[in-house]
Parts: sequence; C-alpha cells; structure tokens
Amino acid sequence: MLCQIAANAILSYKIYEDDLTLAVLDVNGANPGHCFVIPKNHYPIIEQVPNDELANIFSVANKISSAIFETLKVQGTNIFVANGIPAGQTVAHFMVNVIPRKEGDGINLQWKPKQLNEEEMSTVELKLKDQIKNIGVSTIEKTKQPKEMPEKAEFPITDDEDDYFNRQMRRIP
Amino acid sequence: MAQQQLSEEQIKALQEKIKRMSPEELKEFQKKQCIFCQIIAGKVQSRKVYEDEHVLAILDVNPANPGHILIMPREHYSIMPQIPSDEVGHIFLVTKALSNASLRALEVQGSNIVVANGVAAGQRAQHFMVHLIPRKDNDDINFQIPQKTLSEEELQKIKYALSESLGTKTEETEKIAPVPIVPREKKVVEAEVKEEKKPTVKKNRIVKAKKRVKKETHKHKKKEHKIHKEEHGGHADLDDIARVLGAK
Repeated sequence: MLCQIAANAILSYKIYEDDLTLAVLDVNGANPGHCFVIPKNHYPIIEQVPNDELANIFSVANKISSAIFETLKVQGTNIFVANGIPAGQTVAHFMVNVIPRKEGDGINLQWKPKQLNEEEMSTVELKLKDQIKNIGVSTIEKTKQPKEMPEKAEFPITDDEDDYFNRQMRRIP
Repeated sequence: MAQQQLSEEQIKALQEKIKRMSPEELKEFQKKQCIFCQIIAGKVQSRKVYEDEHVLAILDVNPANPGHILIMPREHYSIMPQIPSDEVGHIFLVTKALSNASLRALEVQGSNIVVANGVAAGQRAQHFMVHLIPRKDNDDINFQIPQKTLSEEELQKIKYALSESLGTKTEETEKIAPVPIVPREKKVVEAEVKEEKKPTVKKNRIVKAKKRVKKETHKHKKKEHKIHKEEHGGHADLDDIARVLGAK
C-alpha cells in the first residue's frame, strides 16, 4: 500500500518529497498533523535501509517535527518507529511516525520499567557489546569525518549481514 | 515533583536569573543540571554499550525491556528540533546498528525507536535521547496510538500549513489550498459562477505573500533561536520547563 503512495498511485496528503524520501499526512492519525516519513524504495525494517537513505529520512522527520511545532502550536512531538510485528508494525514498509502531542490526547507511549538485577544487566550488556563489536559500529569513529557525517558515514557490512537481513525480511508478512 | 518544592517566588527569581544569562552561561547551566551530561562526562557511572565522538549509548537503568538502550548526542540538546541535520542522521545510523545488534544478541523479534520532544510527549530527561526498546511477543508493553478521523477540510488545512512551513508547496498544493473564509462582498451577488473564482485566487495570493513574509521573519528568528532559545514559540516553553526542572 505504501509503495503505491510512493508511486503516486493513490490519493495521499503528501507534504514532502525528494529523491529518496516521502512524507505523508496520516489520514487516520493519532492527532491532527500525524505524519509518516518513508523511503521511496521498499524496505520492511530499519536494518535494511541503506545509511544514506536512513539519515535522510530522519532529518526529514526532524524538519517535519520542527514544522509541526511552528505551525500547529502543539506541546510536543513523538518520533516513533515500530520495527517488527511484536513492536506493533502493521505495514511491511519501514516508516517513521511523527506525532504531534498535547496533554491528555489519549496517546500512550510510556512503559512500566522492568526490574533487572545487576547480574541480568551485566549479561545483557556483555551480549550486546559482543554483537556491536561484530557489527563493527565502533570502527566508524576512526573512519568518519564530522563533515561527511550526514549521508556518507558507513557501517561496514559483511556478506553475512545480507543473509541475516533476508532472514529478518521473511519474518514480516 | 521538583517544581512543587520551590515556592512561586523562588521559581520567579530563578526564571529572572535564567533570563539574564548569556547563551554561553545558559548552556553551562543546563549542562551542570543535566544528569546525562554528567554521564557523558564520565562523572556518573553507566553501562556504556557504544560510543564515538558524537554519540554515547548506554543501557537504561529502568528498562522497558532487557536491553533497552538510550542513544544520546554528547552535545546537550533538549529537543530534536535543536539538533543539526547531520547529527540527527548520525544518531539514527547508530540507532540502526544497535537495533541490528540487539536483534542478534537478545533473541528478540523487533524493536521500537521512541523519541519524546516535550513533557506532553512523555519526555522526562532534559537531554535529548533516542530510546531503543527490544521487543518480544507478549512483553507487557502496550503503546497506544489511537486512530482519529479528520475531515477532508482539516487534512487539507494541515497539509497546507505544513508544506508552507517546510517550503515544499507545489502547484498541486496551491490548487487545493483552503480558500480563506472571508465574508463575501456585495459584488459577488452580481458575479457569475466563473467570476467567483477570481477573488478567491487573488485572496490566496495575498495570503501566500503574507505568509511568505511571515516565513522569512521565521527564518531570521530561527537563526536567533539557536542562540536565544527562549525567544521562539513552542520550543521556548519546553526549554523553560526543562530549565526549571533541572534547577531544583
């Protein structure tokens, strides 16, 4: 459905468009002015979105968030991404929601904190660090120049990565 | 909370003091009050999972789920609209990589990325941060994003206002721009249906021209805004709230 929007096939309330990215008003938004920002290319989840497209999507989302503050006189905005079905994703096209907020608007993006003991926290920390090392995120600090940061920063991606993405893709209908 | 412990006079005095600060002093003041700036400076302990020269990612001590990560810029910003585009891009590239890592490491099936700008949006800390929450089925997190129905007219109005603010108004947008509701003049009585269009177009143009002027002043303000954050509409309140909250 979203690819159809991207192809201008159906009526949409488009508010922004460039080569890579499209932003559309949600007709059944949680609040007036609820927008979603999507890549024009089809990717189900964030891990599949190339870095240049992803950086662009979020800077567009930020611009829209500023525009919402300026024009709609709201008290806040949420940027919300649901990645995968357990996270509440309903459409298999990656999207960033920008939601204008006012007090008592019936939206709940809060959570109850879970109590983890020190040991559990340490286990999680170690597991994460191990994977982060594998993914090679930390190498960018050496290669990345601040000026090139916006669209060109690349996280090294191995072949194994592609398989992993493909596996992830199959999880979403 | 913090505000209630201060008397009204104290708050007023504080607001006065804040008003008189120079932008540099203000920034220092905010940093001093900000627990996350202390964490970034290494003065407060945390479980760091990733860091580079712009960004630090730590485990949330009150996680929504195990592996809940906070990704924050080293620079102190209260809300996202204050952050330069390239930095925003970088923050979310890191978020993506960390989401990828948590999917692998924690045997979860998804993740939520949540940003709250402003207290009404659920922001609690005064330092901008991205929440990355690993998700599993039935993990007892229930976000509620209701669906509301808006009239065609309302949607068009919002679309018009937002595209104007974004500078993305196209011919198509202009065509469907809402007709300003102005009481019709007597002339219209004589006018035929065709002619009715003319005044509409004219009015539209005038409105647009006015808005253009308004926008330019906006742009100017924006520049100033970086220095004098308190000057500009919506953000101002947030900054003030953040400052008062931090000033306990």
